[in-house]
Amino acid sequence: MILTSSNTLENKKIIKYKGLVTGESLIGSNIYKDLFSGVRDVVGGRTSKYEEEIQKARDLTLNSMVDKAEELGANAIIGLKISYDNLGGTMGNTILVTAYGTAIKYEENED
Amino acid sequence: MKIRNKELDLNRLVKSIFCIAVGTGVGIIVYIIFILLNIAIFGWNLGLIFAPLVAGYVETELANRILKENLGAISAFILFIDTTFYSFILKNPTLGFNIITAGAIIVILQAAFPTLINYIFLVVIGGIISQTIGSLKHISEPMINFAKDVLSRYREETEEEIKSRTVPHFDESESNHYLNNLNFFFLTSTDMNDKKHKVIGNYQAYVIIENDRKLIHLEPERAEKEFLKKIKHGKDECLTKLSNEIKNDQGNAILNLSIKYNLVSIKGDIQISATGMGLYIQ
Repeated sequence: MILTSSNTLENKKIIKYKGLVTGESLIGSNIYKDLFSGVRDVVGGRTSKYEEEIQKARDLTLNSMVDKAEELGANAIIGLKISYDNLGGTMGNTILVTAYGTAIKYEENED
Repeated sequence: MKIRNKELDLNRLVKSIFCIAVGTGVGIIVYIIFILLNIAIFGWNLGLIFAPLVAGYVETELANRILKENLGAISAFILFIDTTFYSFILKNPTLGFNIITAGAIIVILQAAFPTLINYIFLVVIGGIISQTIGSLKHISEPMINFAKDVLSRYREETEEEIKSRTVPHFDESESNHYLNNLNFFFLTSTDMNDKKHKVIGNYQAYVIIENDRKLIHLEPERAEKEFLKKIKHGKDECLTKLSNEIKNDQGNAILNLSIKYNLVSIKGDIQISATGMGLYIQ
């Protein structure tokens, strides 16, 4: 499955637009507590634990989106957009990771 | 004292002492007048407040004119010590401690150290009160929740109670098929790749997801799952609204679709908005 934020695929011809695919996941509000309660695993000014959690959430989101594209019979997603939003409020520091794009079917250009 | 930061020449020092002395002198005169006229409430002379105030004012005015700077109302502080010593120790050595003297001490301190006393009142005492109330809530809430849990073990939850605490199930696959079977194209790309089309205009739709207070009582992980389901339902609703608006204007697609999730209130309500260019694709 090809994932791209561009409108086209180089050397490939879009033969069908299959539809919209989306994925969402949440990084729990406990993440900050986890980060600061135990060992401060700060490496070079960045916290590896935090990056791990973000990575996990992004993978979950993209996998969910890819599964939906496959369900529609697509072999690529174009116009991919990913965003990270802090939902704050009474949910604590919950971060919502969302991704969406257009599922398409392509074939290789013969020329 | 600002004077410390400047070069201490004798002339400035003498002028400064002069200002402080005049301020202190005027303050003492005011205090004597208050004592002679017996301007007092419940036996407590108001000169204790007004004498330091006047002393500080006179000294500041004088210093501003002569030295072009403020000396920090040193005379008010001197007056505060003088008057307190005179009235509480010399004049009335047998003064007992009661609510009037306690109040008087606070008022005198307030006049002498306004910033410090205001800080103690507003920040320290206010903080202690709010912390105490918060702690009580912290202790009582788990006890109430525990009692509720114990009670709930002895009776089964009704269907309505379960429904009220959970968000309806969200089927990812069902949602996927639903959105892509609306006879409508959602395109996140910005280009139609040579497909013939007619632009109708810009469109937007939004949905507000109210933060459900009931979710707070759930385990954090479960609350997050329920909240995520609400967001997903909201997203489908928002996209359906958007497609309906464009369909009403004879369109059948949206280009450059953008979906945004924003926190819109302190309560934690979320706004889901979808925007894009409405099209008719031939």
